[in-house]
Amino acid sequence: MAQTVATPVVPVARRRNWSSIIVGLLLLLVFSPLIFSIATKIVHNPLLLLGQLKVGLVNGAIIAIIALGYTLVYGIIELINFAHGDVYMLGAFTTLILLSLLNIGTKTPWIIRGPVLLLILAIVMAVCGGINVGIERFAYRRLRNAPRLAPLIAAIGVSFVLQNVGLVLGGVPVFEGDYWALVALVAPVIVIALAMVLARRFAAGGERKMPVWGWLILIIVAASLAIAGFNLVHHGLQSAVPLTLGDNVMGETAPGPKNVPEVIASVSARPLLETPFRLTWKDLMVLVMCGILMSSLYLFVQRTKVGKAMRATAQDRDAARLMGINVDATIALAFLLGGALGGAAGMIVGMYSNSAVFVMGFTAGLRAFTSAVLGGIGNIAGSMLGGLLIGLISALSDQYIETRWTNAVVFGILVIILVFRPSGLLGEDVGQKA
Amino acid sequence: MATNILEAQGIVKQFGGLTAVNNVDFVIPKGTICSLIGPNGAGKTTFFNMITGLYVPTSGSMIFDDQSIVGLKPDQVTARGVGRTFQNIRLFANMTALENVLVGQHARLKANLLGILLQTRAVKAEEERARLRAIELLEFVGLGRQRVDEMSKNLPYGDQRRLEIARALATNPKLLLLDEPTAGMNPHETDALTRLMRQIRDELGITVLLIEHDMKVVMGISEKVTVLDHGGKIAEGLPEVVRSNEQVIEAYLGKGAAAQGKGGGGVRKAVVQSAEGR
Amino acid sequence: MSRAINIGVWAGVFGVFIIVLFGGQSVLAAGLICGLLAGLLAGARTEGETMQAGVRDGLISGAVAGVILIVSNILRNTFITTLVGQNLPSTGEVLSFGIAGAAISMVLGAALGAAHFLPGRRSSYATWAILGLVILIYPFLDYSIQLGWLGIVITGLIFILLALGLNIVVGYAGLLDLGYAAFFAIGAYTAAFLSSSYIGDQLNFANPRVSFWLVIFIAAAMAGLFGLILGAPTLPLRGDYLAIVTLGFGEIVPIVFRNLDTFGITIFGHEFIKTFNLTGGELGISPIDPPKLPGLNFADRSDQRPWYFLLVLIILFSIFLINRLRGSRLGRAWMAMREDELAASSMGINIVRTKLLAFAMGASFSGFGGAYFGAFVGGAFPSSFDFSVSVIVLCMVILGGLGNIPGVIVGGLIIELSDRLFLPQITLLLQSIAQHNANNPSLSGLQRFDPTLYRTGLFGLVLVLMMQLRPEGLLPNARRKLELHADQASPGEAAQSQTDLYDVETEAASS
Ligand SMILES: Nc1ncnc2c1ncn2[C@@H]1O[C@H](COP(=O)(O)OP(=O)(O)OP(=O)(O)O)[C@@H](O)[C@H]1O
Ligand SMILES: [Mg+2]
Repeated sequence: MAQTVATPVVPVARRRNWSSIIVGLLLLLVFSPLIFSIATKIVHNPLLLLGQLKVGLVNGAIIAIIALGYTLVYGIIELINFAHGDVYMLGAFTTLILLSLLNIGTKTPWIIRGPVLLLILAIVMAVCGGINVGIERFAYRRLRNAPRLAPLIAAIGVSFVLQNVGLVLGGVPVFEGDYWALVALVAPVIVIALAMVLARRFAAGGERKMPVWGWLILIIVAASLAIAGFNLVHHGLQSAVPLTLGDNVMGETAPGPKNVPEVIASVSARPLLETPFRLTWKDLMVLVMCGILMSSLYLFVQRTKVGKAMRATAQDRDAARLMGINVDATIALAFLLGGALGGAAGMIVGMYSNSAVFVMGFTAGLRAFTSAVLGGIGNIAGSMLGGLLIGLISALSDQYIETRWTNAVVFGILVIILVFRPSGLLGEDVGQKA
Repeated sequence: MATNILEAQGIVKQFGGLTAVNNVDFVIPKGTICSLIGPNGAGKTTFFNMITGLYVPTSGSMIFDDQSIVGLKPDQVTARGVGRTFQNIRLFANMTALENVLVGQHARLKANLLGILLQTRAVKAEEERARLRAIELLEFVGLGRQRVDEMSKNLPYGDQRRLEIARALATNPKLLLLDEPTAGMNPHETDALTRLMRQIRDELGITVLLIEHDMKVVMGISEKVTVLDHGGKIAEGLPEVVRSNEQVIEAYLGKGAAAQGKGGGGVRKAVVQSAEGR
Repeated sequence: MSRAINIGVWAGVFGVFIIVLFGGQSVLAAGLICGLLAGLLAGARTEGETMQAGVRDGLISGAVAGVILIVSNILRNTFITTLVGQNLPSTGEVLSFGIAGAAISMVLGAALGAAHFLPGRRSSYATWAILGLVILIYPFLDYSIQLGWLGIVITGLIFILLALGLNIVVGYAGLLDLGYAAFFAIGAYTAAFLSSSYIGDQLNFANPRVSFWLVIFIAAAMAGLFGLILGAPTLPLRGDYLAIVTLGFGEIVPIVFRNLDTFGITIFGHEFIKTFNLTGGELGISPIDPPKLPGLNFADRSDQRPWYFLLVLIILFSIFLINRLRGSRLGRAWMAMREDELAASSMGINIVRTKLLAFAMGASFSGFGGAYFGAFVGGAFPSSFDFSVSVIVLCMVILGGLGNIPGVIVGGLIIELSDRLFLPQITLLLQSIAQHNANNPSLSGLQRFDPTLYRTGLFGLVLVLMMQLRPEGLLPNARRKLELHADQASPGEAAQSQTDLYDVETEAASS
């Protein structure tokens, strides 16, 4: 609809957001000594800066891949998938477990190592994509029309559960000894849980409720199971096959895998470049893999029919449904892609640093989310850009401020973006939905 | 003292490439009931949203009660004396009818944090008065006492519409904006509501601006009718004048119909016929 | 009738849990809890409308629970006590304590049932009197039977105080605050700075010590101030951004306290503030002065009863204030905003200011609790304020029922007791089984099974399951119940959420 009548368009005086300007100036003032000192350091040793930029680029590429997972999901259902960082963490765990189970390392000739690594990549991506889809199916789908708080809270819950899984996988001693003791511990719980499920069925099936004697019987069964179990154990039923989770893989006590051999290049191998900055084979691996992942995702979303369906769903779910797009499947696809990317990022990190910890998902998640917001959440190119920027910023902060302050720096940036440009660098200004 | 409670001039609203309201001049004389009509998507609700501060006009000026209200936030506009209802009812679903009306009085109450925590005498008295006034308003719009403590989402549809009006009245407005108040009502309810609107003007002295699709209502009570189409104002004036305006009929029925003076399709035809029938 | 039995059985199960875990004379405490459950759930909610029915149901329910208690007390002492190496009490002792526990349960059940049917206001007075009595008796009981729960109960109550504050933010105003622990930390560190000798020690001067009674309010104000500083720029943003910003804030505040162990300002080589250890780093700041009150000794850590009573008073007072807020202009504005932000602003509510107030109120509660916590544990340590604290408090609010004070309290008790009392006790129990049966290879393995390692997972599971099955919480507020069950919402509401598209978008808030 063209504007037919020629009217002098008087721009409406927008209310300036004075508070944010003042906050900005204050921030600048407070941090001016810091900025100054950083500038001096950089001038003194410009080569160091170059090296640090490389570190930032490498980390940033990984963050960008994780950020894509947030953006894909947010773009479609406007949910911050809190658990995404932890899916990435599980990706790293899966990789390391597989690596040590398959027992490959730098000694393995490339002709075997290459295909095996590709296979691992495929497995890890499938596992993590699957986990993510499962999360969507069981924790979020029912809540799609619920108030915004509900799925967000569920997402936090899932994140915690996954972290705990990571903690256990990480070699925390689970149990050693007799299965029976475990049975005795777990059986009553299962019996009671079963009873609850039954009671629900009863209630759902008709007006009748689970009768009291039913409860009594169940409780008696549960109690006697418990007592019997303890007694069996007590009297030394010696079936003992100790149940421990992969001691040799994970190490005894560390909350994460360790002693996993290098697979890309041994520590002693000569790097690709020494000057002007150090570039190792691993760095190259990260950059190449991330590049491939990012560009294939971009092409997928922009060029394929399924990708178009995704974009349509992101625009307007109801309209997309009317156009014959299977919205549930599309949403699941977004989770699948996001999870697979998270898994791939996990694998890259796993191969890069040969270690994983259960909390790594939380920190990385916060950073990746920040990048997604920085680039404009929901915007794929934006997340890539944001990830790279956050990677660079944290590398610089590591070097020029102090590593222990980096998280604070990243968070500060998050707040600043949200205040000054909530739509992000590449995001369009969509206003606000109440 | 201006005779117009609202004077809008050259109002334009663009959403990206779409011009939803295009250079509209619009005045509401004090103490009148005016109507804003037009086919679906004409920009009526958008216009409302600009008056109440939900949207900022792309350009144009808007004077309410001798002061510019462009760029004010919704709550500031409300405080100046504009009350409104919504096209799709937006009550506070999980609050009682009474509480809904009490929320409407928010801007008129003065209790602050300290007063509330200490429950000063002034706060208590104010609360008591607010409660009485809320009940009074509920009765005024025809919601009996027994409905007062009902959760608003459990009220029947018609009562929800009334409750929304009571809530808007509770803001103590000088100008009341009603967005399709009779939508979805049966003729009986519609009549009652028409009477209510008159009462609001006559007894409370509040100027009313109405968006309405039901021509019977529009023609029956408005002193002035403004017609929007595709964002532009195409006619304005007394109901009789507007009704016979060629452009209006064309907007409602499409081009050919205007030339023949009749024809066109189902629903809209009925609308205009009912308008002409009065 | 069968309902009363049913509740009795459930209460009994809870009692069994306690008895199995703690043994000894814990059956008395179990009786107290069973009695409360029986009285409040069966006696006071009986379908019969007479006092007799109330007494009868409370009594039956309490009796059923009591029988279960007696039996399980016997079983526990027969099978488990020796296994974990506790001293085996005499049969008479086992029986008499079991019967005493059962009696407590019955009497309490009947009394609460009766109280409920007193005419008029007397009913609620009587109920509160009984509850007050239980609250009053509990610490003495705890001491006399050496239960050793009191310290944990106090921590639990501090968390309940936090949950009450968070309930304002999340339950009333509908803002998701994931960094609640940050304000808790700010409160504790404020107390640490003001009422310990730490700063003076660092800078070599005798700093004045501010009294606890003043410090808690200063801490609340400080936390509120930080709430304002954080909220002012971010509250106008959409809800889930707020969640992330608060999450980040919650992460950063402990980092800052941890890292400010080398604090100083040097510009152009000139030391404006000499570098010193501002926050004690990882080790934190201790000791913090306890409160002083004539006649009460807060400094004696072995008797925490004064702390308990002080906290109970604080909580009751807070509930009193929150109730006032809830029924006021402000409380209504919060709820209206939660229901429909846009309509609320069209009714004259200044959204940003109202949100900010709720956010800052919540923060002050947290700060207040933090100062109390600091004084109670005698120090401020960065490790006690991590993300899990925020999530636990959120769990409490959600488990009990958003926006509902009794719900928050019950949810808080359940979570805190399971987290700090039951889980560690299970671990302890397993370990002592292992220790006392070191020669039995199958049992000694239990030593490595540590349920507390699964606490994060359990909390997560609670959150997920609650959202799926019972988003309104255990004790739902009638209002929230329907709201959160969106799939069962009335058709009108569903239709509305689909037609909202245009009315919803507002520029005013973003400009
Ligand atoms: N926030 C928005 N973003 C983009 N387009 C919008 C927005 N709000 C309204 N529009 C568009 O502006 C035009 C006018 O819409 P408006 O709701 O004002 O129509 P209306 O006259 O109230 O119609 P109806 O009778 O159906 O209520 C429509 O084309 C609509 O799509
Ligand atoms: Mg409209």
